[in-house]
Amino acid sequence: MRTDTSRIRIEKLRLRPLDGQAVKRLVEAGLTWLKTNQQIVNSLNVFPVPDGDTGTNMMLTMTAAWNEIKDSGEKHAGRMMAVVAKGALMGARGNSGVILSQLWRGFARAIQDTAVLDAQSVVRGFSEARDTAYKGVVKPVEGTILTVAKDTAAAAQAALLETQDPIEILTRCVPAADESVQRTPELLPVLKQAGVVDSGGKGLFFILEGMLRHIQGQPLDAPLASVQPLSSLNFDSAMQGVEEGQDYEVVVDFFPNSSFELRQFYDRLEQMGTSIQVGEGDGMYRMHIHVPLDKRYEPIDYIMGIGTITKVAMENLLAQMDEIDAKARGSKLEFAKVEPGQIAVVVVSPGSGLSRIFASLGVAAIVEGGQTMNPSTQDILNAFENLPTDKVVILPNNKNIVMAANQAREVTVKKVAVVPTRTVPQGLAAMLLFKPDGVLDSVAEKMTKAMNTVQTGEITVATRTVEIDGVKVETGQVIALLDGKLVLSAPAVEAGVLGLLEKANAAEHELVTLFYGEDMNQSEANRIADVVRSKYPALEVELQDGGQPHYQFIISVE
Amino acid sequence: MRLGILTDSTADLPRYLIQQHQIEIVPSILVLDGKEYADGEGISREEFYARLPGFKTHPTTSAPSIGEFTARYQKLFEDGCDHILSIHAAGPLTSILSAAGQASQEFVDRITILDSLSLSLGLGFQVLAAADEMEDGLEAALAAIESTRKRLHVYAALDTMDYLRRSGRLPAPVTFLGGMLNIKPVIELADGEIKAAGAARTTQQADERMLHLAKSAGKLERLAILHTGAERRARGFLNQLMREASQSLPREILMVNVTPVIGAHVGPNGLGLAMVKAK
Repeated sequence: MRTDTSRIRIEKLRLRPLDGQAVKRLVEAGLTWLKTNQQIVNSLNVFPVPDGDTGTNMMLTMTAAWNEIKDSGEKHAGRMMAVVAKGALMGARGNSGVILSQLWRGFARAIQDTAVLDAQSVVRGFSEARDTAYKGVVKPVEGTILTVAKDTAAAAQAALLETQDPIEILTRCVPAADESVQRTPELLPVLKQAGVVDSGGKGLFFILEGMLRHIQGQPLDAPLASVQPLSSLNFDSAMQGVEEGQDYEVVVDFFPNSSFELRQFYDRLEQMGTSIQVGEGDGMYRMHIHVPLDKRYEPIDYIMGIGTITKVAMENLLAQMDEIDAKARGSKLEFAKVEPGQIAVVVVSPGSGLSRIFASLGVAAIVEGGQTMNPSTQDILNAFENLPTDKVVILPNNKNIVMAANQAREVTVKKVAVVPTRTVPQGLAAMLLFKPDGVLDSVAEKMTKAMNTVQTGEITVATRTVEIDGVKVETGQVIALLDGKLVLSAPAVEAGVLGLLEKANAAEHELVTLFYGEDMNQSEANRIADVVRSKYPALEVELQDGGQPHYQFIISVE
Repeated sequence: MRLGILTDSTADLPRYLIQQHQIEIVPSILVLDGKEYADGEGISREEFYARLPGFKTHPTTSAPSIGEFTARYQKLFEDGCDHILSIHAAGPLTSILSAAGQASQEFVDRITILDSLSLSLGLGFQVLAAADEMEDGLEAALAAIESTRKRLHVYAALDTMDYLRRSGRLPAPVTFLGGMLNIKPVIELADGEIKAAGAARTTQQADERMLHLAKSAGKLERLAILHTGAERRARGFLNQLMREASQSLPREILMVNVTPVIGAHVGPNGLGLAMVKAK
């Protein structure tokens, strides 16, 4: 039955020209399918650390593009695509989001004068998308979204020899993208080591597949009845948007009965609420859902009937949101006043304490964000567009935000220098060399030099079990990263900090600054600082409230 | 006409140079645990800096009295001077200049009061330049000071911001440095004002900044390495400078443990530089 209707639909679509409105529906389909599979993409994280989630970043980038066109009646495909590209460009988050926006930009450029897409223009679009994305990256790495874009463009080119149907071109591109994604671990050893495929490439595949599913009349918005590894469940990102009326977050851990059927499970949950996620580990399932107040016990009652519940957690999301808002309002920061002609510094800061420290060092604006919440190009632009000067230095303080910062530089009329700080300590070190009245390029150069005078340690908890660079890590263990490289795992935070300092040769240095995160309480942080002091009596040890999420400590050794 | 030169103890001139050039020095006042000492009396510089972080009440300073200035001027005139050049620590930072000015009013047109707009050897080098020309009279001495002042640079790398902050002499643009983090500020003393010249988190970083500042000044006519009870740091710095820029250094380099009258306001373990660039 379904096959028949969808065939009819395909025929219809084939007859319909690929004009601006068709492009719009394809973009929507790509976004919807990516959104549906967002958590799968998020789970493809190489390092077992809480990180900028690729799926979320790409989804938000696509959403920004979609918001620009959702009310548009534009018929011209090229003009429609130009708006898509602009929206993606401004909304780009994380490195994968930035590359995705470059793909759209290239595609849009190739077809800017094309009112209705034909096979040639689609192929041209894929080629130009690939070229633009490659050019946007300083050192292109294979085995990433770039490779998937390249292989897709090649498949499109090859298809052109056999067909003049643009839909057929897309139909052949999707499996090519899929195969390309599967090959990424062969090209990029770190993926192979971690046992994952490239997340950005996978995200791109979902966008293309979503378009194809739309053409073929397959459903897009129904959540896939998929089970993720427990460790990849990320309820924080769900917090970013609480749907109207879905005020309660319910999380239930359970062991299902033998009759458990996943599709059915999802169907039932969908009747109760939204933001459904299901994870599994060692036979235990974790269900996450947002439900209205009056339905908050429904998921629990239901699950009691299909398995044995081991844990239930329920939270009032609105109260939580209020708390977050109140916290944001409470920390009113005083920023450096910028005079016209002076240089203003904009930093990305992952925690309230770190924001206060940056403010005390004379930054003019702060973009909140960091590990799991990468700000978009637009967010960064917003931070400095209204400053009364045209000279701006951006400190991204995170390797996954450097590209969005660079993109902000490209789209503004202001003179912007990006000092590519990858960590908070690097940002602080750079800040010490800041002179508001200097010459922009030379100040940025000095700051760039200074950022390499510190070593950065990070202490966090592993989000999954993996072995990388010879370090074996199990979910829940404390892990330490030194300048972005996983150096050890430990049973507890204290051991992690001490082990890290040893790896960093702390004894040869002068100062260790411990920025403790929001998951640490002050007295415990104090105790660990004292342990460090007694182990390194010659070192100066400074403890600061960083307030960053997920990372128990960010440590600078200098 | 015979010119006499008078300055105060914040010039940090070594004894042999004072004697050689017959410079009159008025000691500034250090207040330790409620007791006043003329600079150089009561406590040695080494002991002062060793004890500085631990004094029960924080040491303070005050300018020499007007009467002290009057007595010194009187003495110079009695010794046969026709005119006195009285040059002092930066007016915006101390009240020494104003005490000298008030004392000089008794001796109409016989004393020229000059604000060095500097401190320590930044003042001292201006005094030495004037002393070199004192045989040729006041105009020549003033011209020498003017020339020196144009080529003068004074920097300090402080171990902490605390002392300067407590002294109330920290201008607003410097204040932000280290609002929260422990910062080792690098400051410049120019035009009688303290200005931010950089910031560091470690002594090593600070010394590298100072080295950079010294090297980028080019060839030097005069150089003093200043420190506040940090002789080892100063020696290490000098060695490094001699290794990296020996061609630019003058034949004679002064190494000075700064007077407690200044040290009380900048704290121990600091490193300073007073440089006069070659013409």
